[in-house]
This record gives sequence, C-alpha cells and structure tokens, in this order.
Amino acid sequence: MLSVKNIDVAYGHARVLHDISLELESGSMVFIAGRNGAGKTTFLKSIAGFMKPVTGTITFLGKDITGMAPEKVALLGIRYVFQDKRVFSHLTVRENLELAAYPVKEKTSKAIEKVMSIYPKMEKFLNLRAGSLSGGQRQILLIGRALVGDPKLLLIDEPTEGLAAGTINDILNVLAMMKGKVSMIIVEQNLSVVGMLGEKVYIMREGKIVQTCSAKEEITDKKQLEQYL
Amino acid sequence: MIQTIAYGLTIGGILYIISIGLSLTFGTMRIVNFAHGFVYTIGAYLLISALPIVRDNFFLGAVLAVAAVIPISYVIERFVIRKLYGVSIDYAIIATYAVVLIGVDLTKWIWGASPIPLSDPIGRDITLFSGVSLPMYRVLIIVLAVVIFGALTVFFKKTIVGKIVTASLEDKDAVKSLGINVDKYFSIVFVIGSCLAALGGVLYAPITSVHPYMGMMVLLISFAVVIVGGLGNIKGTFISAFVLGLVMAITGRYYGPAAETMVFVVMGIVLIFKPVEV
Ligand SMILES: Nc1ncnc2c1ncn2[C@@H]1O[C@H](COP(=O)(O)OP(=O)(O)O)[C@@H](O)[C@H]1O
Ligand SMILES: [Mg+2]
Repeated sequence: MLSVKNIDVAYGHARVLHDISLELESGSMVFIAGRNGAGKTTFLKSIAGFMKPVTGTITFLGKDITGMAPEKVALLGIRYVFQDKRVFSHLTVRENLELAAYPVKEKTSKAIEKVMSIYPKMEKFLNLRAGSLSGGQRQILLIGRALVGDPKLLLIDEPTEGLAAGTINDILNVLAMMKGKVSMIIVEQNLSVVGMLGEKVYIMREGKIVQTCSAKEEITDKKQLEQYL
Repeated sequence: MIQTIAYGLTIGGILYIISIGLSLTFGTMRIVNFAHGFVYTIGAYLLISALPIVRDNFFLGAVLAVAAVIPISYVIERFVIRKLYGVSIDYAIIATYAVVLIGVDLTKWIWGASPIPLSDPIGRDITLFSGVSLPMYRVLIIVLAVVIFGALTVFFKKTIVGKIVTASLEDKDAVKSLGINVDKYFSIVFVIGSCLAALGGVLYAPITSVHPYMGMMVLLISFAVVIVGGLGNIKGTFISAFVLGLVMAITGRYYGPAAETMVFVVMGIVLIFKPVEV
C-alpha cells in the first residue's frame, strides 16, 4: 500500500536521509529502530508530508504523494502521531477528539466510541483538559485521535518513550488490538515491544536503513542488533 | 481622578479592540504584522467616506467601514501575510511595514494629508455617580470592549473554528496531521482581527482626529499591549489593554508628554520578569 523509493531528505543543506526505500503491505505492522538522530522521525515526517524529499518518490495506494501537504496526506488516510505525546493541552479530551472528527466529517460521539473501544477508561477523562492526563493516557488519546475517520496507515513515533512499565503494557494492548485492522509503521526503541508485536524491523543508522529483519529474529539476535541502538 | 480613570478605561477599551487582532496574528502565524496599523487608519477614513452615504448615521457608517475592511484585509492576508509563514521574522516586519507606507501614501492621495476632525456621535454626557459625568460615547466604548472580549472568549471556547485556532496556537503541525487546512482558519482569524482594528480606528476617530499617520503610534502601543498580555492570549490582552490605558491616562494627567513613554516603561518591566515566549 505504501511504497517509498530512494528518498533523500534534508534540513536546509544538511542531508539527513540517504536513499531510503521501503515497501509496506496492507495490514502489516512494522517497526523502525535506531539511535537518537538516526533519522527515524524525519523518515515518518517525510511520509506524512511534513518534510519534502529532495529526490525519490513516495506512493500511497497507487497515488504519488511526494511533497504533498500534510493535511492532504492525512485526508488520504495516513495519520502521523508525533513524538513527545503532544496533545492539545488547553482543550478537553472530548475537544481533542472533536477536532479529529471534524475534517473527516465524523460525529464526535463516534470518535469517542472509537477511543473507548480501545481504552474504556477514557470515559472518565472526557471533560478534563488533555494537559492534565498522564503520559500514558496522552499517548492513548493520541493514538485514538489518529484512528478517527478510519485511516489506512498509522505512523507512530516512539509511543512508549519515557513511560513506566505498567503504562507500556497499556500501550501494547492498544497496539495489539489494532494490529491487522490498520497498517502501522512504529518507531520504537524498546526491543521487547518490537518482539511482541512486530513482523518486521528496519534498523536505521545515520540516515540509512542498514538492516531489515523479522522481529522475532531480531529479538533472538539482540547482541548483534544492540550495536545499532 | 475618577474622571481620569474613566478616560483611561476608554483608552483601554480601544486599545483592546485594536490589539487583540495583532495578538492573534502574532500568536497563530508568528508574524509581526505592521499592516495592522494601516487597517486601523483605513477604518477611520472609510468611516469618513461612509458618513455622507448614510446621512451621518454613525452606527451605519461604522458597520460599512468595518465591512469594507473584510476584502481589504483578505487581500493583505492572501498576497502578503501568507507568503510570510515560516519565513524569518525580519521579512515579515519589512513586508508588512511596506504595506503601512503604501497605505499612508494611498490615504494621503485619496483623502488628503490634513487631519479631519469628527464630532462626538452621541454628544451627551452620562452621570455615573455623584458628580462624575462622562461622555456617553466613551462609556459605550468601554461596554463594547467588554462585549467583544466576551464574544471572542465564547468564539474561541465554543466554536469549531475557535478550537482549531486554539489548538494551532499550541501545535500547528499536529492540527495539520488531523487533515485540517490550518492556513484557511488563520485567514479567518486575520480578517476578524483586522476588522476589529478598523473598528478601533472608527471608534477613536471622534476622540482625536483622522490623519494618515494615526496608525503608526497606535501600532507601537498595541505591540506593547500584546507583549505585556502574552501572544495570542485573549484574556491577558484584555487585562493588559486596560492596565496600559490607565497608565496612559494617569501619567498624562500629571505630565502629558510621558503618557506614551510610560507604556513602554511598563512593557520593559514586564519583559524583565516575564520573557516573551515565541
Ligand atoms: N529541524 C531540524 N533542523 C535541522 N536538523 C534537524 C532537525 N530535526 C532533526 N535534525 C537532524 O536530523 C537528524 C535526524 O533527526 P531525527 O529524524 O529527529 O532522528 P531520530 O528521530 O532518529 O532521533 C539528526 O541529526 C538531527 O540533528
Ligand atoms: Mg525521533
């Protein structure tokens, strides 16, 4: 469904992605791992339309989306969940979902149901300011918010970063529930999360994909992989 | 003294009406918009041109003038401001300052350079309490500022456009990632802000006089209001406008020439304790 072909991406004159290619099958869940500064976020942002590749092409469901504006990419069914759990903190949880429902012409109540289906506890927080949620709750709100309007591909940037073990489990459950229903590319440093859910892992280093392997294999071969992390 | 305070509140009301648009453009688009001063001036001049058409009915003239600013500000947004998104802040200052300069010459060309006086549209005083009376017009301005503050608060809290802008003030890219064309909503805010600036010009016209440079000084004071109140902060701007209005009136009572200077002294003090977050 997604085909990235030989993209190079730069901030000004500083080229940070070099000749990246990736093919994604519909319904699959793949991971990207790699050190800080390897270019993982930049890669997801390029797919989501926030960075314009210098060369190369990105096609989604047969449509060329290279350099397309992010809001247009989103409406085609690709949702990017930013790193750092950035909710709209001044708005309530309900309003966060209302904003997600608005551009896809969905009812807010339906958006709320969707989030509740992956995380029933959210009901208690609906009228709270999103800024008052814990890190884990924010992450779930963000994932839920991205699910509004039935996207086809989710790009999730470091969903478990900085969370406690128990909270990571909540996130894992949510991701496991979504597996197969929507395609996902997830940036994740936590190898046990990757091992439990993923099919494929791409390892990035210095702006390149240096290794591709199955997630199971990756976990058994941790030693070799840790050199990249 | 009570009289002075009342006058200060009038200035505060007008300052609020003018500054809120500036604050919103600054907060949402991160653009320092000098063109705001032009829109303020043109509002007053449009009123002058509109008055004969509506047989000197001030209210109708004001409505016409403010409505006429909608297409003008849309053009400014579409062809100047929108080119400046994400560009360095200096370019915005230069480009929008150019709009002011063009605007000054344009107003001189159309309406002439000499100041045009306007009389108080109501012309009656209202006795507030024991011996303190105030022109009714000034009281109305204060009331109007409070009403606009309330309306904007409701607009930003309750409407979807308001919520989109509130969210964009915090995280523009995240709003885009939901499939929302943020720029479209920014132009709505820009036009609303410009209309309010024009309304400020309209309201201030009978208090001073209308002249081509009236936007320049007011613009600097408005920036002080915005900085003291917090960029994009509706409530903060409201409070800061009234405080600075009072500062101007009270300073002016003791030493006229310092009235405007004091505004910047206050701004400086605020900046020392509360750095601007851009
Ligand atoms: N806004 C930016 N401007 C310039 N360079 C950037 C910017 N954002 C990231 N970079 C650089 O791009 C490289 C990749 O960053 P990033 O994609 O954020 O890596 P990761 O997500 O893997 O930690 C890093 O070297 C980083 O310093
Ligand atoms: Mg990153």
